[in-house]
Amino acid sequence: MRVSLEWLREYVPINQPTPALAEALINAGLEVGAIEDLGAGMESVVVAELLSVAPHPSADRLSLCEVQAGGETRRVVCGARNMKAGDRVALAVPGARLPNGLEIRKSKIRGETSEGMLCSEQELKLAEKSAGILILPPDAPVGSPLAGYLGRDDVIFDIELTPNRADCLSHLGVAREVAALTGAALTVQDRTVPEAGEAVGAMTSVTIEDAGRCPRYAARVIRGVKVGPSPRWLASRLEKVGVRPINNVVDVTNYVLFELGQPLHAFDLAALAEGRIVVRCAREGESLVTLDGVERKLTADDLVIADANRPVALAGVMGGEATEVTAGTADILLESAYFAPLGIRRTAKRQGLKSEASHRFERGCDPEMVVRASDRAAGLLAELAAGQVASGVLDVYPSPVRRPEIRLRPERANALLGIDLPGDAMAEILRRLGIAVEIQGAEIVARVPSWRPDLAIEADLVEEIARLHGYDRIPTTLPRAPIQSPEAPPERRLEQTARELFTGFGFHEAITYRFVSPGWADRLGLTVDDPRRRNVRLRNPMREDQAAMRTSLIPGLLTAALANLRRDQTDVRLFEAGKVFFDSGEGNLPEERVALGAVLAGEGRPGFWGKGRAADFYDAKGPVEALLDRLAIRGARFQTEGLSPYLHPGLSASLRWEKERLGELGMLHPEVAAALELPDTLFLVDLDAPALLRAAAAGFPAFIPPPRFPAARRDLAVVVDESIESGELLEQIGLISEKEFREALRQIEVFDVYRGEGIPAGKKSVALRLSYRSDERTLTDAEVNVFQERVLTRLAKELGAALRT
Amino acid sequence: MIEALNAIRDEALRRLAELGADAPEAEIRDLRARYLGREGSLSVAMRGMGKLPASERPEIGRLANEVKGAIEEAFETAQGALAARERAQSLASERVDVTLPGRTPAIGRVHPLTQTAERATEIFVGLGFSVAEGPDVETDYNNFEALNIPRDHPARELQDTFYVADDIVLRTHTSPVQIRTMKQRKPPLRVIAPGTVYRRDDDVTHSPMFLQIEGFMVDEKVTFGDLKGVLTAFLQEMFDKGTRLRFRPSYFPFVEPGAEVDIECFLCRAKGCRVCKGTAWIEILGAGMIHPEVFRAVGYDPAACSGFAFGMGIERIAMLRYGVNDIRHFYENDQNFLEQF
Repeated sequence: MRVSLEWLREYVPINQPTPALAEALINAGLEVGAIEDLGAGMESVVVAELLSVAPHPSADRLSLCEVQAGGETRRVVCGARNMKAGDRVALAVPGARLPNGLEIRKSKIRGETSEGMLCSEQELKLAEKSAGILILPPDAPVGSPLAGYLGRDDVIFDIELTPNRADCLSHLGVAREVAALTGAALTVQDRTVPEAGEAVGAMTSVTIEDAGRCPRYAARVIRGVKVGPSPRWLASRLEKVGVRPINNVVDVTNYVLFELGQPLHAFDLAALAEGRIVVRCAREGESLVTLDGVERKLTADDLVIADANRPVALAGVMGGEATEVTAGTADILLESAYFAPLGIRRTAKRQGLKSEASHRFERGCDPEMVVRASDRAAGLLAELAAGQVASGVLDVYPSPVRRPEIRLRPERANALLGIDLPGDAMAEILRRLGIAVEIQGAEIVARVPSWRPDLAIEADLVEEIARLHGYDRIPTTLPRAPIQSPEAPPERRLEQTARELFTGFGFHEAITYRFVSPGWADRLGLTVDDPRRRNVRLRNPMREDQAAMRTSLIPGLLTAALANLRRDQTDVRLFEAGKVFFDSGEGNLPEERVALGAVLAGEGRPGFWGKGRAADFYDAKGPVEALLDRLAIRGARFQTEGLSPYLHPGLSASLRWEKERLGELGMLHPEVAAALELPDTLFLVDLDAPALLRAAAAGFPAFIPPPRFPAARRDLAVVVDESIESGELLEQIGLISEKEFREALRQIEVFDVYRGEGIPAGKKSVALRLSYRSDERTLTDAEVNVFQERVLTRLAKELGAALRT
Repeated sequence: MIEALNAIRDEALRRLAELGADAPEAEIRDLRARYLGREGSLSVAMRGMGKLPASERPEIGRLANEVKGAIEEAFETAQGALAARERAQSLASERVDVTLPGRTPAIGRVHPLTQTAERATEIFVGLGFSVAEGPDVETDYNNFEALNIPRDHPARELQDTFYVADDIVLRTHTSPVQIRTMKQRKPPLRVIAPGTVYRRDDDVTHSPMFLQIEGFMVDEKVTFGDLKGVLTAFLQEMFDKGTRLRFRPSYFPFVEPGAEVDIECFLCRAKGCRVCKGTAWIEILGAGMIHPEVFRAVGYDPAACSGFAFGMGIERIAMLRYGVNDIRHFYENDQNFLEQF
């Protein structure tokens, strides 16, 4: 809402400087977003009379002008040609700094002295472009400041109003607020309507069929108007609040809207069938061409203004083309009404149509402003459009709108705010806001004025007291409260742990959009029954590639990896912890769970210089194992079965613990990689947080005393078939049942896998390091030799292993 | 015999001195052998001692030991000096290029939004708040109705909503966590709820998905002054101890009185700049006293309790803290961006 201070002054005296007024409004909740000084740069520009124009003696294109602005005569060199002696012009005197930044000095131009400049509209920023200098009307007062004459001696506040303050969507409304804040009295304007002739009731009638949606409708008739341009002062005020002047009739309705906050509409009376008004809901199949030229299909929920036959306006939203005021209009029916907010809002939303009128009606107008605004507009039409106002106003108001009586307990207000304000001080604050108050014992009974539909309960009045008292004057305190144990969801801790670990392994944390393209399921080749096809779909996505909630972190991570690779990042390491969503059927909220994911490509050991190596499966597996260790998950197994179709079947593993599937990791399938234009050596990690939490050992790790006797470490290299995984060797050793062996074996480590010279084709050598220890004594060589023999025997029998020689 | 021993000592010391400080180790070793070796002159002389009369033996023996000691000491000193020189030479030849990068495993960075949200959460936990969470996909009731935003309320326009079904939305704020928590638990409550929220908006300062932190406190006598106190403590910890705050009236349907909180622009120190748009203040969060209708919706008696609630955008705080000028950087996951934090 743009507010002109010059206009505002008509309703309230303003005695403080502009910045102080702005601050007072901001502190009262009317956020002054921008302050625009319209007269800036025009301080030294005056209205002058051109006395004579003569050619410049040494320049064909220039003229020598003599001007007079109340004082002495000045000589000014001018390059324009559109002026003649006797014209009123805009003179910038030396020292002026024009709105376009030009500084005016006394100077010599081609040998002739110039004591100022005659300005164009463009130079004064009154127009985007202009030809020649500004020629003012002949009655412009010579010597007076131009800004004042043009009505530019003004400051505009652009106020960002919250939706509850519909009452401030007018100059009168803001003036009320200023009066409440400063204690000044509102200026009462005496407006009488020069009524004449036949009574309005003889010329038209008003029928309200739906008084719930239209509680009040007032009609006036103004006859014999001369449609033409508005006078300068009115056009100027409209321009200042951002409205383009159209003609005097339309301008008057807009003017009253911005002055009093009441939307009005003028119909061409002759275009109304039977010259009468019916306020009703539209009938199925009816349509209306609105003023913006759009044909609108109406529903039974759209309130319309109709004449005897058809809808002529979308009530409270926009008028119709067929009954529009045109140059040929003579008689006007002026509508001033109060429409219920919800209905207007539904229609405006359904029709996708917003107007200054609907903006106000849907937030709540003042039902008691209806006749006053009608009178104001009628007076202006009589004055500016030579209209004859028919006697009386047809005011249909079957059941007056009542604002509530609110009981305010000052004690409660003080307790809520943390202040100690006496009850009568509160009553005084409310009174300044136009609220009628009565003190009844310990309570204040407040009757809310018709223009404040936002005040309905005690808390609303508490806010009014707080904001006029000043939020800054409420003392800052820290609450007294009992100590409580800081609870947090377990997923949060898991996310934090995973984040700590993965960043420690060189992964940057990514946050990707939780909505993705629904096409990912196909792109990743998910089977038709894959649960990850159970996407939650958005009804109104902004883009098709954000139309479904993700069921996996992988699409987002692949997208991020691709973007990084395209920016010439050769090493990609990204990690994400975030929710995934699974549809749970219609009417249910989806299942949401936290997933942990990572993507890895490029260098295997980034950060080390010298000869590098490409990332492989084990670079993805390492952080996962570290996480299992941190979470104290014991006995998790990496298996080659049960992989997603987008993973390489041989270079990937799923992760299981007991019956639980914890997730999977491995290389992106080369075909998927090729289709996505990704390198085929890209590794993924995808873990399920709830499963990890179920597998995580509860409580604290149990203490094991540090060893007192030395361990015997023995290496054992065995040659086995290529197809045998090292995990199988470890598993077989774990199955040796002899009690002494099981007690003594403390650790097995695979420390080398070798293929090549000395090893037959199709075989590999796996080197194991086994540690044996007793808690009672130092083991002898002979004992350890027996253990080693037992291992070799087992591996030879079960897996065909041979000792590497 | 006495003369002979003295002569051997003098000759040995002289010849050692003649070798000089830079003599190679082999020459020193050879020279030493000439006197102290099995066939060295001192050894030969000492073997001749057996032929001496018994009365002279003790004195000559003592002298011989003295001479031997003196020679040994001289050679040890010389060899020690030589070893020290060699060690120094060897150290001087062992050099690294100290300007080559160290072998640090590359350390990844925590996302700046996570860092900001975690820092904020940490401060509130320090103020005695617990952490709660709620679903991203919410009922229209929890997201709007229970928060005093009925259908067709103009305030819905401020939050253009993603719909999943008629009555299921992507939450437009973290405020539904208030409803869920209050329905489950009874006062006193001090809860903080960080989370992801969604609005149909996409430009330099708006992302269709963004992060918020909601906080609220309910007890018998919580005041607006307490709200000011908690937020002042939080914002001064988050930004700067000296940060000035401005509380001004505003409107959110689920609070009354409502407030918007500005911090003094820390970039221009209240002189006016691009970030604060010349106003010297930066809008940072919305807050207020919980609306009685919200208490009713969760089954609390508005006459028996009071509370405050506040909500803030994490991106906005992160943008201010790090000087990031486009919100979209946070969701592009460019490693060049991420590695800076």
